[in-house]
Amino acid sequence: MIAKYTGIAPKGDLILLQRLGEIFRDKSFLHVNSTRAGGGVAEILQRMIPILRDLGIDARWEVIEGDERFFDITKKIHNALQGNHETITEEMWRHHYEVNRRNAEKLDLEADAVLIHDPQPAPLIEFKPEGGESDRVPWLWRCHIDVSNPLQEVCDYLRRYCEKYDAAVFSVSKFARAMSIDEFIIPPSIDPLSEKNRDLTEEEIRQTLERYDIPADRSIILQVSRFDRFKDPIGVIKAYRMVKKYNDCILILAGSPASDDPEGEIVLNEVREYASNDPDVHILLLPPFSDRDINALQRSATVVLQKSIKEGFGLTVSEAMWKGKPVIGGATGGIPLQIVHGFTGFLVHTPEGAAFRIRQFLNNPHMVEKMGQRSKEYIRTNFLITRQIRDYLSVWYAIKNNGKSVYEL
Amino acid sequence: MDNATNKAKPFEFMQCISIIKSTAKRAADLHELRDLIATVSEESIFHHTCQYFLKGRIREYTNDFAHWVGESLEESALAEQLSSIDPYEFKSISELRSALLTVIDNYLESFPEPREALAGEEFYFNETITIVFPARIRAKNLAEFLIAIRYIDAASIYYHFHEARTRLGSGTDDFSKWFDEVLGEQELARRLWAIDPFMHSIEGIREHIVEIVDEKVKRDMEITGVEE
Repeated sequence: MIAKYTGIAPKGDLILLQRLGEIFRDKSFLHVNSTRAGGGVAEILQRMIPILRDLGIDARWEVIEGDERFFDITKKIHNALQGNHETITEEMWRHHYEVNRRNAEKLDLEADAVLIHDPQPAPLIEFKPEGGESDRVPWLWRCHIDVSNPLQEVCDYLRRYCEKYDAAVFSVSKFARAMSIDEFIIPPSIDPLSEKNRDLTEEEIRQTLERYDIPADRSIILQVSRFDRFKDPIGVIKAYRMVKKYNDCILILAGSPASDDPEGEIVLNEVREYASNDPDVHILLLPPFSDRDINALQRSATVVLQKSIKEGFGLTVSEAMWKGKPVIGGATGGIPLQIVHGFTGFLVHTPEGAAFRIRQFLNNPHMVEKMGQRSKEYIRTNFLITRQIRDYLSVWYAIKNNGKSVYEL
Repeated sequence: MDNATNKAKPFEFMQCISIIKSTAKRAADLHELRDLIATVSEESIFHHTCQYFLKGRIREYTNDFAHWVGESLEESALAEQLSSIDPYEFKSISELRSALLTVIDNYLESFPEPREALAGEEFYFNETITIVFPARIRAKNLAEFLIAIRYIDAASIYYHFHEARTRLGSGTDDFSKWFDEVLGEQELARRLWAIDPFMHSIEGIREHIVEIVDEKVKRDMEITGVEE
């Protein structure tokens, strides 16, 4: 499987992956998160686990289960970490812990390295197997959320779990908090061979457009994201309306529901209401695993937006850039890491800013082409899944051989 | 070094990757930047200066400090001065640290109340863990070197051209050293060493190396003194 990335991923990443695969051959690497479908974490894990296995590593992926109340609480924790005012009572934290305790009884937490994703399963560290070799197993907490400006008391409460891990991993430097453990910065990634990112035929693209009744002969402005206020879908519609005064175009807002996001439906209804039956605004609620359709929509778009107000990383930016599209993104979270302003796209702060850049792209196809080419190469060298796996295994290696700043493999 | 041994010694391309490790220290204004530059680890100073080129971005300045001062604080004069500090000129990170502090201190004397960065635009001090590994490419002569340099990963050029300046610490880089000591090509070594590491992206450095070596290989292949 790793051989399929030859000629796509940077050669050095593949060489190092093979070397790390030899070092960790037959070692087990456990990942735990809270959903199998929907959202960037599940998507990366779906692709990463088979590649790790192909490298000779015994990779496993476990998902914790919780009741509706648990996911309401964890959504509130998530929002609070992104800066929203939420009240998490002691009793809610207790439920959070209890659900994790019940999961720990069912899950096999024995492994040679463990990576726990996001706050939902963070308390699992309390149930780390103990004794003998288990004491030397590195447990890493991977935070995918923008925690640059969190609600302090929620952040502090969560810290009591985080600091029991051997290290934490954040997507962007500014998310790292002052903690007593090592903190690594590893941006997420996309898989160029997945159904969402592979090359498509003209016929495949046409089928998607037909299925969703999208005209192929008009300029398309696209935002792909969950229906979440932090993604600012209303701001996108505002920007589209400003553009519409000058340029003919249609707007597509496409997103899939995630099983751990109970707010999605409420926001979707708000967006529908705000769009108020404009026939040129296409709000697509895509079922889970609509990857090929998302791929086709991104390839059909003239301009791609990711106008988030808060963002963990915003992998849809990398997805569109990989397809040679320059992206207009909110200057938040991991988006500025992907969009080099004026070189691979534009960073904006307001609907007005987004509208202005959309008009620039709609009126300058040459600029779109040039920035699109740069975008693809930028993603190739920095944001492919091979780089992310390389980084995880390197961190594992560094923790096992701790103390040095340079290693020769 | 024995000449016969030297001639048999091929150039083994290596490359490196860096895993970023946060120090969780951040500066919101010039005073905080100054105080943290004075106290952060040597690895952090190294990362924000010497490893700047590994990022591969097209930027206006030559180190992270200058970039932040210029872009986020909009203190252009100081950004220019910080940018002109050559990290390879110093024998140790401690000397480099002193040079950075001197420039900032001088600026603060004239402008004691610099502006603050916007929230979220602070300077974040990082360190790196570097992993070095063979690129699995070997060049036995200049012609093979020319082929390899065209397609080797940018991280390999960084390792041999930029990082070597700190590692070797003797006014040379891995490429120039091989040209000089193994191939006996002093002129080629001199020309390669003369490529200014601050004025080009890694791809720009690659183009210059290709140009210099290509010219030399072509010249060596020409048959001279052919009688008509």
